Amino acid sequence: MADVVLFEFLHAEMVAELGARDPDPGPGGQKRSLSVLEGTGFRVGQALGERLPRETFREELDVLKFLCRDLWVAVFQKQMDGLCTNHQGTYVLQDNSFPLLIPMALGLQYLEDAPKFLAFTCGLLRGTLRTLGFQSLVTSSVATLPACKFQVEIRKS
Amino acid sequence: MTVHNLYLFDRNGVCLHYSEWHRKKQAGIPKEEEYKLMYGMLFSIRSFVSKMSPLDMKDGFLAFQTSRYKLHYYETPTGIKVVMNTDLGVGPIRDVLHHIYSALYVELVVKNPLCPLGQTVQSELFRCRLDSYVRSLPFFSARAG
Repeated sequence: MADVVLFEFLHAEMVAELGARDPDPGPGGQKRSLSVLEGTGFRVGQALGERLPRETFREELDVLKFLCRDLWVAVFQKQMDGLCTNHQGTYVLQDNSFPLLIPMALGLQYLEDAPKFLAFTCGLLRGTLRTLGFQSLVTSSVATLPACKFQVEIRKS
Repeated sequence: MTVHNLYLFDRNGVCLHYSEWHRKKQAGIPKEEEYKLMYGMLFSIRSFVSKMSPLDMKDGFLAFQTSRYKLHYYETPTGIKVVMNTDLGVGPIRDVLHHIYSALYVELVVKNPLCPLGQTVQSELFRCRLDSYVRSLPFFSARAG
């Protein structure tokens, strides 16, 4: 139990530190901090992508299922709640109670700050996919806390 | 049996949270002064109790009561103080106050990166959960006793 809390506190501090460091508090600075967070998540994801998988994946959908099951359990102690796809390389991963958002609110309070706490995780997904051989674009959205969605678009190489 | 109100202070005397459920009489002073008065009193009682105790101190100050209400006190090693006023029928509730600290304050305020420590708690989630928890207590009744 203590291990989980360590990551949560560290992540919260990363977001706070990057937000505080930037001299530009406007949207430009925000974007820079978000991309630093995303980049950090990307590198962590790349490493996890080497370490976690137990078997080779036959197809793209299996990789996404791996993200929703094994990766999510390893990092957040739960599985993703939903996975949708258009079978043409776009996937939507739905988490109804994302652990990093749970202590914040149940509803709409803090909604505008929520994306800062999803940037690292977007990078995490993108990095894991990269190691497994897929270039992608990962974005996130929050409608009501603590539920959120991650949109993954696999780039055709 | 009922709960009248609840105060939460940090180690510097900042009132982090105040809720009331059944309070028929106000203190007659502004809220800021009321919090300072409460904190000051607690500070004094704690030191008085430890100085004047005829035996070695174990838990320290726990509660006081008047002919109308009882004030329960719980302090954590980090200096967070939970103060709850109830009516006289309520026995020791140290575990309740501890739950308010560990399951509500720590989980929803300390772990919330958007709640700066040392200031009044703005989190709606904390306020709601605390309210539901207090209302669910066996000694809380919707009609003031």
